[in-house]
Amino acid sequence: MSAHAGRADIAGARDGETAARAVELAYIAVAAIVLLLMMLFGLTMRATQAQYLDVQPRLFYVLLTMHGAGMVGIAGVAGAVVMWHFVRRHVPVSTTVFLANLVLFLIGAVLILGSGFIGGFAGAWTFLYPLPAHSNGVWSANAAAAYMLGLLVIGVGFLLLHLDVLRGIWRTYGSLANGLGLKQAIGLAPEKTGPPPAVPAATMASIVNVLGIVIGAVVLILSLVNLYVPSFTMSALVAKNLIYFFGHVFINATIYMAVIAVYEILPLYAHHRWNTNRLFYAAWVASTVMVLIVYPHHLLMDFAMPPWALVVGQIISYLSGLPVLLVTAFGALTVVHRSGLRWDVPSGLCFVGVLGWAAGVIPAIADGTIVVNSVMHNTQWVPGHFHTYLLLGTVAMFLGYMTWTAKEVPHETIGTEPAAFWLYVGGGIIFVVAFLAAGSASVPRRYAVHLAPWLTYDRIGSLGALLVVLGVGIMVVQFLVRVPALARLPTTTTAQPLPEAAAE
Amino acid sequence: MTRGFLPLLAFVIATGLASLGFATSGFRVITTEGARRLAVEHHPRAVPDVVLVDQDGKRFTFSTYRGKALLVEFIYTSCPTICGVLGDDFGHVLATLRQDGGTSGVDLLSISFDPARDGPPALRSYAGRFGASAPGWRIAVPATREGLRALLKSFGVVVIPDRFGGFTHDAAVYLLDGQGRLVRILDAGPPATLLAEAAHAVS
Amino acid sequence: MPRLAAAAILWFGLWLPPLRSGLESDMALHMTVQIPLLALVGILIAPEVRRFEPRWLAEADWLGIPGIVLVLFSTSYWMLPVALDSALGDWRMEVAKFVSLPLLVGVPLGLSWQRMPPLGRLFVIANIISKVGALGGLYLAAPIRLCAYYRLDQQAEAGSALLAVTTAAILGAFLASFFGWSWRRPFPDAWKGRRAVATAADASPSLPT
Ligand code: HEM
Repeated sequence: MSAHAGRADIAGARDGETAARAVELAYIAVAAIVLLLMMLFGLTMRATQAQYLDVQPRLFYVLLTMHGAGMVGIAGVAGAVVMWHFVRRHVPVSTTVFLANLVLFLIGAVLILGSGFIGGFAGAWTFLYPLPAHSNGVWSANAAAAYMLGLLVIGVGFLLLHLDVLRGIWRTYGSLANGLGLKQAIGLAPEKTGPPPAVPAATMASIVNVLGIVIGAVVLILSLVNLYVPSFTMSALVAKNLIYFFGHVFINATIYMAVIAVYEILPLYAHHRWNTNRLFYAAWVASTVMVLIVYPHHLLMDFAMPPWALVVGQIISYLSGLPVLLVTAFGALTVVHRSGLRWDVPSGLCFVGVLGWAAGVIPAIADGTIVVNSVMHNTQWVPGHFHTYLLLGTVAMFLGYMTWTAKEVPHETIGTEPAAFWLYVGGGIIFVVAFLAAGSASVPRRYAVHLAPWLTYDRIGSLGALLVVLGVGIMVVQFLVRVPALARLPTTTTAQPLPEAAAE
Repeated sequence: MTRGFLPLLAFVIATGLASLGFATSGFRVITTEGARRLAVEHHPRAVPDVVLVDQDGKRFTFSTYRGKALLVEFIYTSCPTICGVLGDDFGHVLATLRQDGGTSGVDLLSISFDPARDGPPALRSYAGRFGASAPGWRIAVPATREGLRALLKSFGVVVIPDRFGGFTHDAAVYLLDGQGRLVRILDAGPPATLLAEAAHAVS
Repeated sequence: MPRLAAAAILWFGLWLPPLRSGLESDMALHMTVQIPLLALVGILIAPEVRRFEPRWLAEADWLGIPGIVLVLFSTSYWMLPVALDSALGDWRMEVAKFVSLPLLVGVPLGLSWQRMPPLGRLFVIANIISKVGALGGLYLAAPIRLCAYYRLDQQAEAGSALLAVTTAAILGAFLASFFGWSWRRPFPDAWKGRRAVATAADASPSLPT
């Protein structure tokens, strides 16, 4: 901790706003670059399944592991910068801690990449116990340990960040319940006194992530011990439940963080505030409560439970995000409706993000219903579902925030290409539909080598992926070239210029 | 950062790591069992030459076995669980030894830590159960309480009463080399592994 | 002074044979009652120790970090099965346990906690919860005996007890933060429904710290 504190002194000496801006830009740049790199890994995998490329299965599984872990981590980083940027307007948060998280993320990323590309670790990003310890010689215990240590380091960073956000909310609003708007939700206080929309979202994301990381750390420590002292075992079922809880919570939290971009950016275009009515707060409270109910369900899945409890748990687990999704989709539509909003790339991306999130939930609900589950689970239906709401949801919202930030450079000669937007959206739809179609044709997930009848899906999917990579590539490059100018911008005005005032 | 912070932190971390490292024999073991095995492996130890009584009522000491490897296990004959497994394991070792002609220079010894119940008759019936016969495989009990205590201490055997009038104890096999030193603590297991280790110890 | 007296009574009480052998005969009691109580002895005497703490030490204990690191090391030490065994098998290690838990866990905790910023405290709590949970999981599921002095069933019980402590700690931390509980104002505003803290904060974005 000493190192961070040292930086605090430096950061304190400099202008706080400039420092915060610099760290935000670093976050966006890191997220953008890693995102693009991981997309290239994804494209390589899809093209291998399509037999356009000849990648050996061993490398394929390393790529699968790296893509999974890298994407989940970078979605966290992307969500974190959106959350931090907006929540910082309302509660005190520490720039040092924010920076520490990025540094720890990079250290963890190096460990993870090393475990895969040097150590050959390919136990999938979920490192399901006891697989990491049983590689049949494909990777060593050290490689698996480097991977888990990497996750642990990244977890520590996010734990610090979320605790800091919670601390700020606790201090400003008196309690986390107030941060969620519980009083407004149950009618104890007028709607107008509720927190701005960024705050309930940040509260929910941080609560669930802190719990998820604490649980994740437990399994990671246990798995690490098991690697080196194999006689220490644990129940594989309990381990699985803990890991999945941690994984699901973390990946779902990315969207609760990224959605803040929608709450804050779309209204700027439409010239009126996001409607934080009672229903809005109630939805955030409900979603939080539902995730927390699912919590013991995951922990106890191992014990004999009556079937109805399992079914209810399963349904709640899939529906926990639904209240928030509904108020967000509805809110986005009301903001946009008859507002005379001028569409451009950032506003378009934010809107696509909401649609992608909504679209991604439908296959999840289908998958969650037990009957379908036994048919579709472990087919490409599952990557189809989560790529929809991650690639076209979380990532779209992040790209919206990124391009919106880039617009601040005045008199910019190159604007963000609408062509990039369409490449990304169009390619993304083709890509996820190819997964979903393959899934309903029972093509299994996580297979390096595909049978001839599956190739059509794979080839269409690869094409879509290629378009996505091109579109996102253009946006990322256009952002990166503006970073120096953005870093030099005076940061006295935290209020963002309205779109009319900005480039166009 | 204040003055003295970094030195203090460094001091705390250094002493902390040192004591953890000391307790875990250099971060290699976290259980007493692990520590014991590692210690014996690195520093073979002499065992006290106490007097024991075997199933035929004969007295003998460890020095009887000089020049041979000796596999030792600790049991009590009324044990309903693990001692049966141990007995079976030694039975298999004996069978293997006989197959090889019985001249491999390895002897077996089962020591009871329950002198109150295990007199020669009890030892004899245990021997009969698993086909043990002196001198190749003795079932014995230390002649005195002091002898028993000294033996348990030097072998590092911990015996604790269970809730059913018996004992919980470890199921390890102890290997003494030709000079009567404890050189290895092994898991009870396939005869071949035990005999390989034993052959290694005499040579 | 009543604190000192309480600490002394607690310490001697724990040392007396009935309580000592009673608590130590069971692994769960040993880990979840005796060890924490010994640390509590140190926490109780910390305010008295503070008066004798040299200035340089108080200064060097910046943000309470060295102190908390010391606590983490000492608690890790007494979580090792081999350390527990050594205290049971060797009276000198038993004395070391009775001295080190108050002095190297309780006292530094009492002294350094006050110096820690809120984020540091939250982090330490989260960290300890994970560690105790992991230990509980290990003990619950380990198929071999880790302590030479405890039976397998006692070990599993100790695991369950540690997991119960973890669950209670998570629940407690969650409820406290959710309803804004604090030592100084035990009855949070959250339920009075009067102070509209939110609007004030909304109007003037507070500067980052
Ligand atoms: C151009 C964009 C992308 C491409 C081409 C791509 C491609 C792929 C492919 C081919 C797979 C393996 C599917 C299978 O199991 O057969 C996969 C898995 C996965 N992807 Fe992506 N992906 C992309 C974007 C994303 C994004 C944005 C995220 C998250 C933010 C993500 C997260 C994952 C995860 C978590 C897995 C599961 C890994 C596993 O099964 O262990 N991907 N992706």
